[in-house]
Amino acid sequence: MQLSLIGLSHRTAPIEVRERLHFPEKEIPAALHALAERREVHEAVIFSTCNRVEVLTRLEDGVEALPLVSNFLAETRRVERSAFESLLYQHSQRAAIRHVFRVAASLDSMVVGEPQVLGQVKAAYATARAVGTVGSLLEAVLTRAFSVAKKARSETGIGTAAVSVSYAAVELARKIFGSLEDKKVFLIGAGEMSELAAEHLLRNGAQAIFVANRTYARAQELAARWQGHAIRYDDLLQHVGQADIVISSTGSPVYILRKQHAQGFLAKRRNRPMFFIDIAVPRDIDPEVNSLDNVFLYDIDDLEQVIAANLRERQREAVRAEELVEREVDRLLARLKTLELTPTIVALQGRLHSLREQELKRAGLDSLTPAQRQAVEEMTRSLVNKILHLPLTQLKRLPQEPDGLKMVEFIRRTFQLKD
Amino acid sequence: MSSLWLWVALGLYSLGLAHALLTVGLRQPAWFRTALAAIGVGFLFHFVSLVEQGLTAGHLPVTNIAEATSLFAFLITLGFLLVYWFYRVTSLSVFAFPIVFVMTLAAALSERPRPEVAPILRANWVPIHVSFSLVGYAALILACLAGVMYLMQERELKRRQPRAFYYRLPPLDTVDRLGARVLAIGFPFITIGILTGVVGAAGAWGPDWVRDPKVTLSLSLWLIYMLLILARVSAGWRGHKAALLAIFGMVMALVSWSANYLSTHHTFLGH
Repeated sequence: MQLSLIGLSHRTAPIEVRERLHFPEKEIPAALHALAERREVHEAVIFSTCNRVEVLTRLEDGVEALPLVSNFLAETRRVERSAFESLLYQHSQRAAIRHVFRVAASLDSMVVGEPQVLGQVKAAYATARAVGTVGSLLEAVLTRAFSVAKKARSETGIGTAAVSVSYAAVELARKIFGSLEDKKVFLIGAGEMSELAAEHLLRNGAQAIFVANRTYARAQELAARWQGHAIRYDDLLQHVGQADIVISSTGSPVYILRKQHAQGFLAKRRNRPMFFIDIAVPRDIDPEVNSLDNVFLYDIDDLEQVIAANLRERQREAVRAEELVEREVDRLLARLKTLELTPTIVALQGRLHSLREQELKRAGLDSLTPAQRQAVEEMTRSLVNKILHLPLTQLKRLPQEPDGLKMVEFIRRTFQLKD
Repeated sequence: MSSLWLWVALGLYSLGLAHALLTVGLRQPAWFRTALAAIGVGFLFHFVSLVEQGLTAGHLPVTNIAEATSLFAFLITLGFLLVYWFYRVTSLSVFAFPIVFVMTLAAALSERPRPEVAPILRANWVPIHVSFSLVGYAALILACLAGVMYLMQERELKRRQPRAFYYRLPPLDTVDRLGARVLAIGFPFITIGILTGVVGAAGAWGPDWVRDPKVTLSLSLWLIYMLLILARVSAGWRGHKAALLAIFGMVMALVSWSANYLSTHHTFLGH
């Protein structure tokens, strides 16, 4: 087996080069056909996103992968080789498997743990599988990559900490309230970021929403969108206290909520906690509010700080995910040994011929003449070889087929072949 | 040798201790599932050891300090398992497992051949008094741990610069409700425990029972316990203040427990 991965990504190549090599989705099947037409190429998958262009292949043993793939890229994308060749990275065998696992598990992404990349890898696999360029090796590597990616997500925290302002707000709300069920959200003012945050909160279980805006019509419009309640701006202070989560983003030059307001809310709420998110610049809520028990106030800088910390947390978790990848690479490599067919073929032949010899002994051919005995031996040998012929031809073809590895494993189990 | 099962339990609890130390050392949860399984199995062995002790003694094994400590560790483990079952609060393990280990170790080490049980400790009310009080103490320990977790998480959220604790500790509301719940469960137990103690003591020690420091401290502990519950219900004391109060209650409980060494009457030897 010769597994090779060659490509470039946001780590090695600037956008100017990536966009020129990028394969539009529709052109990938044709490109795969063109690649698979070369005699040296047994299997191929092309993975092309805005962040990377990679070609994963199983090649004829002894073939130089780099010139082959860069020629292919130059021809199909009509870019001169010198424009990108120095930016390519090349991984083979173990390193190629590790790279595929890392990409699928989003360890090589710009934002570690982002969830889209797995879907993109799956799509690339599906395309190649439909075209018919996925054989036993790439099938085994890619399907394993999917489960490794899932495992990395569930067993480490690479994907958990929020990395956008609106999700950071949801996550903080969860850290304060536990569940967002039956929590009420109050939106003061409007704006893209605060609306997005409100939407995320609602989608994550928050119950009711109140909207106040200097222009009452705008408040009504937003309230209607989320089946909430519009509040007149002048009545703001009477109603804010009902909400558990307050998102503020008005253009007011002065604080609209001060410490004594918050104290008043708390007294009425019997100290049930409140979470204030102040996205406005200049700020809407007096920072002093944060000094009260059961009140948590985050302004836009605080949220950015949380995101920065979350990214560091993802990096820490990525270390654990890398260890997991390393273990999984070892496991897959052990399993892939089966695909080197020679041991299986030898073992299968050995198994049948030893059966033949056992049976010959049991038959007790001593009474036969030497000539007769030889004839029986010849006959049984050629019978065994005839029986083996079809399965062996089939077996040699299996690496080209997606379920090849499973089939070889099946044959090994059926005949109880051990190394 | 009745302590064999206790040592087995202790061995299993040591995995819980290892989990706690590793988790703190590496700043990330290590071996939690293994430790949980070990604690669960250890808990069963611990139960076996208690039953065996009880059968040998012919009554609830709470008449010396080793037995009481063992039962106490058992109750804390039970509390942890229940909390985990209902709240899935894994981070509690970091605090609870070492406590359980140390108490079980103390129990196993201080176990001696049974001395003659003092006549006063053979009274019917003693097992009720001890076991109910211990349930109350165990609840208080859990409430105190919930309070500590609350304060740590609150600090993270107030500082607005999340560090490791922020990611590992449960949400504020969860630990706040957890603390309230265990106290509500523990209160009737501590009440019955202290009441039986008072009634029993009055009967056994005669009129000077009031002046014993253990009695005074236990009654003040009970007052704090009640305050913890009342303040939440009537004054809306929750979160920060409730957490502090629970920790204070725990300190009082420690003082009250250590009064066993000050009291002239209330010692496990019985006078």
